[in-house]
Amino acid sequence: MGEHETSGIFESIVEKLPGNYDIYFWNFVILMFFTLFEVAAVFFETIPGTEIEITLYAVWAILIGVGIIKGYGIAAYFMHLKGDPRIYTRTALFPVLFVLLMLWGIGLSNPGAVQNLPDWCMPNWEFASQR
Amino acid sequence: MSGGEAHVENSIWMRAVLIGGVFLAIGVLAFATMGVGVANVKHHTYEDAIHEYEDAKYAYEDAKANNASDAEIKSLKETKEEAHHHEIEAHLSYLTWRTAGITILLMCITYAAFIGLGGFLNSIYPDDAGHDDHGYGGDDHEHHGSGSPIVFSLGIMLFLMGFPAFQNTLGNMLSGVDANLGDLGLSMLGLVIVTAGVANWWREDLPFIGNHEQIATSDPFQGQHIRKAGLWVFIMSEVMVFATFFSSYLRMRTEWCTGWQVNAGNCEEVNMLTASDFLRPNGAMLDGLGGQGDFMTLLPGAINTFALIISSYTIVLALKTAKAKDWEAPSGFLGKLLPDQKSAVRNYLIATFLLGSMFIVLKLIEWSHLVAEGFTIGTQAGSIFYISTGAHGLHVFIGLLVMLYLIFKADTVGYDEKNGQGIEYFGLYWHFVDLAWVVIFPAFYLY
Repeated sequence: MGEHETSGIFESIVEKLPGNYDIYFWNFVILMFFTLFEVAAVFFETIPGTEIEITLYAVWAILIGVGIIKGYGIAAYFMHLKGDPRIYTRTALFPVLFVLLMLWGIGLSNPGAVQNLPDWCMPNWEFASQR
Repeated sequence: MSGGEAHVENSIWMRAVLIGGVFLAIGVLAFATMGVGVANVKHHTYEDAIHEYEDAKYAYEDAKANNASDAEIKSLKETKEEAHHHEIEAHLSYLTWRTAGITILLMCITYAAFIGLGGFLNSIYPDDAGHDDHGYGGDDHEHHGSGSPIVFSLGIMLFLMGFPAFQNTLGNMLSGVDANLGDLGLSMLGLVIVTAGVANWWREDLPFIGNHEQIATSDPFQGQHIRKAGLWVFIMSEVMVFATFFSSYLRMRTEWCTGWQVNAGNCEEVNMLTASDFLRPNGAMLDGLGGQGDFMTLLPGAINTFALIISSYTIVLALKTAKAKDWEAPSGFLGKLLPDQKSAVRNYLIATFLLGSMFIVLKLIEWSHLVAEGFTIGTQAGSIFYISTGAHGLHVFIGLLVMLYLIFKADTVGYDEKNGQGIEYFGLYWHFVDLAWVVIFPAFYLY
């Protein structure tokens, strides 16, 4: 953590910020901000101060987007995968394969996977019953 | 220091026994004040609220039976609903204090047992036996590795083998049914072996000051610290454990008609309430349950999210301080909290420990509220919620137990730039727990 030097856009922005705080501090601030944003997106029905509705899809997009940003912030900087040798990041290949397998299983066993497929993806039942 | 490791008198372990005693005292004090004192006052308020509600209910039913005027019936109905609202609030307030008191007591007993027993076992160990090169070795020897994890794993295996009988027997004892104490044996033996394994592990690690760290000599981790590589493999296996929970949850949700699905037009009637329906505002309702969420119900989960993120930062600060070559004490109030480098590392770890402990207390308070409101483990949504968030909470708690040792080491031998990787490796695990919460919180609390 402390001794891991990294370079990139985020790092160059942090260098220009006042107060001489390091990248871990700003990462922490960003994580706190996005958490607040995430909770507010669910809590408020409209954007505060306006009548603009926060739709269901907007909430989903916020939850997923914020999750990715926070996940990256923690893994890249707090877990310092960014400054460490690539082999540590590559250990993630095992769980990634596992997650893909799980998602495949969800897809195949989901009731919608059989009943709600688009026409082009459905078997030709009429042809099958005539044979 | 002797050779490549710090000289540690076995008597230093008595400090761990004393810390265990302090935890017991804190636990008993917290339970007496919160779980008994305040909770009893809250219980009286709750009982009064029940009586007020019953009175209001009877008054309303009487008015209806006696054909009172519409205005009177309306007014009595409002009074009844208000009394019901007060009753629920009083119940939840009572549960908050009671659960907090019991949780802190149980946590402190576990902390005391863990660090106290470990410390006691090491304090009675002969002084010379600790320097026989089975630990981290002397100057001329590379670290041999430790057998303690295997002993620890054996203990866990025995504990789990005996766990069904263990929990049945404990359940019978708590409910006053005849119980065969012998059924506790296998699990208790497992716990004894776990304690011995952990104590031995600590004894081996405490003198470690960063010399002779084992380096991997072959691919794919060639040149890397073996402990770090092992920890990453462990973390990835943990990712798979949590992926299993999430995939189960996602698969279950494909068959539920939740409030979100109704709002999206995918189905017409809600047939399953999720935890978020009880916690967030505008949650769905089903059979009179759910839909009561507001800022206060979401608050414990939100505070916990912030607590974990802050604790992730405090552990970063602990490592940064340990590794700093030219550390200077801050001025002002912070200077009193962080007077010197060694104390600063310890105090950052203590801050992390307190935040993690708060996480567990708030989580159990939240659970007690959810169960009281009808969201139990008996439903599909309840089972996956409690298992997933419970597994996460267990990871936090295990992290806290490990942190106890880190605090002990920071207070005795100390961490510096040479042996600071102990904090770094623990930090990786702690950040992973935070990372898992980044997914759990929106998935279970908000969605």
